[in-house]
Amino acid sequence: MSSIQSTIEATPGITPASAGRSIGNTPWSKRLFPYLLLTPTVGLLAIFTLYPLVQGLWMSFFKRGIVVVERAPATWPKFVGIDNYIRLFNDPEFFNTLAKTVGFVVIAVPAVTAVSLGLALLLKNRFYGVGAVRAVVFFPSMISLLITGVVWKWLFGLNSGLMNYLLSLLDIAPVPWLDNGTMAQIAVVIVWVWASAGFYMMIFIAGLTTISEDLYEAARVDAASNWRIFSRITLPLLKPSISLVVILSSVEAFKVYELVVSLTGGGPGRSTVYLIQTIYETAFTKANQAGVAAAQSAVLFLILLVLTAIQLRISKEKA
Amino acid sequence: MTTALLSSRAARDWAFRGPLIALVLVLFLLPPLWLLASALKAPNDIFAWPPTLLPSPATLVNFATAFDQSGFGLFFQNSLFVSTISAAISVLISLMAGYALAKFRFRGETFVFMLIMSALMIPLQIILIPIFIVLKELGLLNSLWGVILAPAATPSGVFIMRQYIRSIPDSLLEAARIDGTPEWRILFRIILPLSIPAIAALAAFTFVWRWNDYLWPYLIITDQSKWTVQLALANNVGQWDINWPRLLAMSVLSVIPTLVLFVSLQRYFMNGLLSGATKE
Repeated sequence: MSSIQSTIEATPGITPASAGRSIGNTPWSKRLFPYLLLTPTVGLLAIFTLYPLVQGLWMSFFKRGIVVVERAPATWPKFVGIDNYIRLFNDPEFFNTLAKTVGFVVIAVPAVTAVSLGLALLLKNRFYGVGAVRAVVFFPSMISLLITGVVWKWLFGLNSGLMNYLLSLLDIAPVPWLDNGTMAQIAVVIVWVWASAGFYMMIFIAGLTTISEDLYEAARVDAASNWRIFSRITLPLLKPSISLVVILSSVEAFKVYELVVSLTGGGPGRSTVYLIQTIYETAFTKANQAGVAAAQSAVLFLILLVLTAIQLRISKEKA
Repeated sequence: MTTALLSSRAARDWAFRGPLIALVLVLFLLPPLWLLASALKAPNDIFAWPPTLLPSPATLVNFATAFDQSGFGLFFQNSLFVSTISAAISVLISLMAGYALAKFRFRGETFVFMLIMSALMIPLQIILIPIFIVLKELGLLNSLWGVILAPAATPSGVFIMRQYIRSIPDSLLEAARIDGTPEWRILFRIILPLSIPAIAALAAFTFVWRWNDYLWPYLIITDQSKWTVQLALANNVGQWDINWPRLLAMSVLSVIPTLVLFVSLQRYFMNGLLSGATKE
């Protein structure tokens, strides 16, 4: 907080000099003020987000030898129309990655939705220490997925990991968590759900508190079963929260990368290489493919755009 | 009769819920505690089979190794620098933009708001190449300032500040204007102190976001002397022969700032979330 304070003290706008000037605050300078306030935010977003987006989409129509264009005309990007996209759709490796990523989303999103809803139902009521339990579950979502990946790589160790030790106590043979393609994909889902569930649990708890307690009271007086209460009251009234969690977690799941970097490194083989890693590799490690990588980014952008559009529609319906 | 029925139901409920809550605690506490326990073991005890749950004797030797052998102190400093400055910039410019959008009527207001919010839909991951080019043109490659400036404007930060400042009564601002208080002074002497809860929440969130950033710095930084904590971790875990004792100690250290912030500002973290702050 002290750093913010000092930034403010150092801001020239509030020195006595400007205080003196503003006695005759003209309507003109007043009209300008909100624009002045917005300049840093809009400027930074324009330079580092909006312009790059347009530039990236533009680039997807060019063949580009290297990411950074040198001054020599021979290396200038060449316009190729939709060639990069055609190439993409004829590239089995890209399709494979896309399918794997979609597969990850299709499994991880329902899993995290179910788990976080279960946690919310378990922890929605006040009891002594509920805040601490919620905090314990929520905390992993504040940690970088890279660190989470390190922690679980350690737990998943084949002959030295705690997981396989605990399984051995139950007479279960060691599981090659990270040494087998399918198992590694499952491991990524498990860890991703573990790391994200607390965040979505809080959204569900917020949604659950909006459901009137009277409804539950009435149902209990009628001796309705727990399952009936859940399926007839909780689930229908929780629909907005469920859609929000599904959409938000889908967007996050499509971007899965940091976790994989530390947990599996994309392996074994290339079994846990997902979209972001592919885009990065295409752009920065392959020759003459910067335009193709831009086209891959555009495909991902389209997917995320559709998801966000659905989310906006849902939140409008909710309002 | 009804109450008796309800309380027996509550008792049954607890017999069912108690063990489940215990299980949840184990599932979510075991991984971080196992990390801590392992990091505190002597390097040779780490791979003991069957594993010992508690380090005996507990030792800080792995932490010393992390600092001595890998230059972790420097990476930690770099991360602290990046996260603090970037969070300070984010908070300041979000406060300004949020104030403008909450308390002023001006031409293009809706457009600017939509423009800022549209950036929410553009994650860094899809603009990797063009952003690399922009940073190159600006001479910010391989510079911590590139890591700081590029993600400094956060749409969610602007949104949080706008929502919060809206709740400040206009009468306060009008009174100050009638007294001839200059606009900047109104912002920093009236709006800012009244927005401390939102500012604290935003500062904490942004610090953690920047602390956790990996792809950004990975793209920009090439010199090892400018590595952040996340880059150092990724490099260590990516090695063929992982130095686990050192890596575990580094991981524990990397969690500490987040843990300290979270424990001291837990209310802000978890409430801020409920009032509309989402993952960046």
